[in-house]
Amino acid sequence: MRFSPKKFFVSNSFTRKLHKGYLYVFLLPSLGFIVVFFLIPVILTFLIGLTKMDYSFRWDWIGLGNYIYILRDKWAYKILGNTLFYVFTTLAFFNVGMALFISIATTHINDKIGSIFRSIWLLPRITPSTVYALLWLWAARGEANSLFNWLTSIFGLHPIDWKLTYPWLLVILVNGFVGTSFGMIIFTAALKSIPEDYIRAAKVDGASTLQIIRYVELPLIKWPLLFVTAYQTLSLLTSYEYILLVTDGGPGLYTTEVWALYSYHLAFAQYGGIVKFGYGAALATILVIIGLIMSVIYWKVFRFRELMVEPKIEV
Amino acid sequence: MRRGQLNLISIALLIIGLIIGGVIGYLLAPRPAPPEEGKLQALMQENEELRAKVNELLQKLKPGEIKVTVWTIGPDPPSEYRLKNFFIAADMLNSWLKMLGANVTIKVEGEFYVRPVEWGEYKNKFYLAYKAGEAPDIYLTGHEDIGFLAENGYIIPLDDYLEEYWDVIYYDIFPTLWDAVKYKGKIWAVPQDTEARPMYFRKDVLRALGWSEEEINELPKKIQSGEFTLYDLLKLAQEAKDAGLVERGVLHRVKEGYDYFQFYLGFGGKLWNPETGKMVFVKSAWEKTLKWFYDAVYEYNVISPNQFSGDWDKDFHLPFTQGKALFLSGGTWHKGEWIQKGLLTEDEFYDNIGYALHPAGEPSMKPVTLSHPLVYTITGLAKDRGVADVAFLLITLVTDPHINSYHSVQSAHLAILRSQVSDTRYMQDQFLHDVAYMLDYTTFIPNHPKWGDYSRIVYNILRAVETGDLGPEEAYNTLLDEIQSTLGDAVEILP
Repeated sequence: MRFSPKKFFVSNSFTRKLHKGYLYVFLLPSLGFIVVFFLIPVILTFLIGLTKMDYSFRWDWIGLGNYIYILRDKWAYKILGNTLFYVFTTLAFFNVGMALFISIATTHINDKIGSIFRSIWLLPRITPSTVYALLWLWAARGEANSLFNWLTSIFGLHPIDWKLTYPWLLVILVNGFVGTSFGMIIFTAALKSIPEDYIRAAKVDGASTLQIIRYVELPLIKWPLLFVTAYQTLSLLTSYEYILLVTDGGPGLYTTEVWALYSYHLAFAQYGGIVKFGYGAALATILVIIGLIMSVIYWKVFRFRELMVEPKIEV
Repeated sequence: MRRGQLNLISIALLIIGLIIGGVIGYLLAPRPAPPEEGKLQALMQENEELRAKVNELLQKLKPGEIKVTVWTIGPDPPSEYRLKNFFIAADMLNSWLKMLGANVTIKVEGEFYVRPVEWGEYKNKFYLAYKAGEAPDIYLTGHEDIGFLAENGYIIPLDDYLEEYWDVIYYDIFPTLWDAVKYKGKIWAVPQDTEARPMYFRKDVLRALGWSEEEINELPKKIQSGEFTLYDLLKLAQEAKDAGLVERGVLHRVKEGYDYFQFYLGFGGKLWNPETGKMVFVKSAWEKTLKWFYDAVYEYNVISPNQFSGDWDKDFHLPFTQGKALFLSGGTWHKGEWIQKGLLTEDEFYDNIGYALHPAGEPSMKPVTLSHPLVYTITGLAKDRGVADVAFLLITLVTDPHINSYHSVQSAHLAILRSQVSDTRYMQDQFLHDVAYMLDYTTFIPNHPKWGDYSRIVYNILRAVETGDLGPEEAYNTLLDEIQSTLGDAVEILP
């Protein structure tokens, strides 16, 4: 009788367990990374959030004192509102909206030209963040010869200081131009993997380009769309780098301060060197909790499990 | 190098220091009548004994190198002698050690941080490095940090050293500077420099406005007497701007700092109560200060609403040095920076730039300036490493009037020693001579562990006033509320 490996493994309960054991062994490296770079920092952040630690690095436990202080901190509510506004506006107009538009537009034109356009949109991503922020700051300066004012002067508008007058517009543009590229790559890959037959079939049925996009392409890239939305929401929630470089939360009183930046300011960026690790950590812990809740929502409501099981764009 | 050996070197160096100090003291002291024969012989005998003791100690030394690390910051580049002076001091020490035949050398390693590293980042680096065991032996910082550093064991008290070396040089430091480095009855640092914060003005713009040379030269005196107030300053700036002579009326620093408190002091504010050790919030002074800032931006249009988020060069140095702004609230060190950066020559500076105190808020009030003495501390790690004695010896050497003048002249900081005022190098600097009187009008930043919170709250509110986010009344209420809720008992609220 010939030996059948398949039969052997399936029939033998011991080896089945062994097989399962191998899976866990293969998962160990990534599990190790998660523990070291996520779980332990989260636990430490949570514990520091229960103290009033500063540069004395003493663990002076104050229980939920920092969280009670957050509830009483009137700026926390303004900053929470800022964060939601920042996340959803950047997401809607750029990280998903603009990314989708560019992907669709560049896949419906000559492939070479489309690739060039997409490459240009990758430039902000590969530019060092400080240089990138500085370029925007120069462009938005109040002098008549700055880029923004030169462009608006074509329409007869007076020069303005864009950072002072429209700080949110600047913050969203700066973040959006960087954030667009991620979604653009995912969507373009998804669009390009749609079998050509479907498009042809739609054309045979007399569908216009807009109808093809609306009724063929968009439904087929639903899952990448959900993935980018979920991933970018969480990413934007914790991002503050460009806001720090462009407005530093200003120009007014917490005008563009977002939750992650507030946490950073309190924990690390005090001119006088007086820092509040404890309070900053409590603020960061809340971000982690929000992130976890949103992950669960995305997992359950958007049925991410199904996304993981089989690739939805391949039929 | 073993710790025992280090102690041995330290003792030897202390004795050398005492001998040098004694010799200097002897040479500088007024010549009394020649000592009696017996006394002279006793003195020479004592000297010989000390020499013999030094030789004995040196012979026990094993060859080696003692490394002392020093961290300093500008952030303005001309203040580089805060570190460089330690190299000079180490060279001096090494030449003495060589002369004595000791096969030991002192090596100084260090950092001098300049922009974009600002104070906050510099301090962050220190605290984190300390916990990692990599902090320096000598740490330059602002005097206001002494309380926090001392409370948490980052630095060691220097009273014993100072007592021993007092007559070498420390007796010569201005007494008010010692007040700035005391905490809970002990001295924790040695003053490195101090400064005044002048209100600079463009003489050429005033000339163009029709002012005579005499009137221009009288302006600092009018400010000193309280005749010319902060609102007169706004009116004059507006006049210059309306006449098209300048693009901006008044410039102030573009990032967080302590300079803004001068306007509050000008309106009769106080920073702290030395009796209770608490910080002070004078309601009427803050109310007037916030109104003044609001008026400056929105009534007189002489301060840009975006000044607080501007660029150091484009919105501070260049508009003033190019004559596009009339007033600049700066520091003495800015003169050094402009000269070193080539923005102005010495001649251009004296021809076109004037300097005065920050004016009083109202005629009945006093003009002001603000000082923020920087200080050298010795860290707890230096003690653990067994180099605290050598570190102190190096600090003693850089506290020499001539050596300190390398720093003060290049960076336009003020003298910390009485004899420095008559130092050949220092005396030649007209500017330092001219602004010396300002120290009579100065206030030190409070040496309070929560001072950073006070400063940050004020900065946030002032920024909101200038950008139009808050009106003066709303800003005042917010400021009071924030100060009370954040600082609680640490601050006294006065009417």
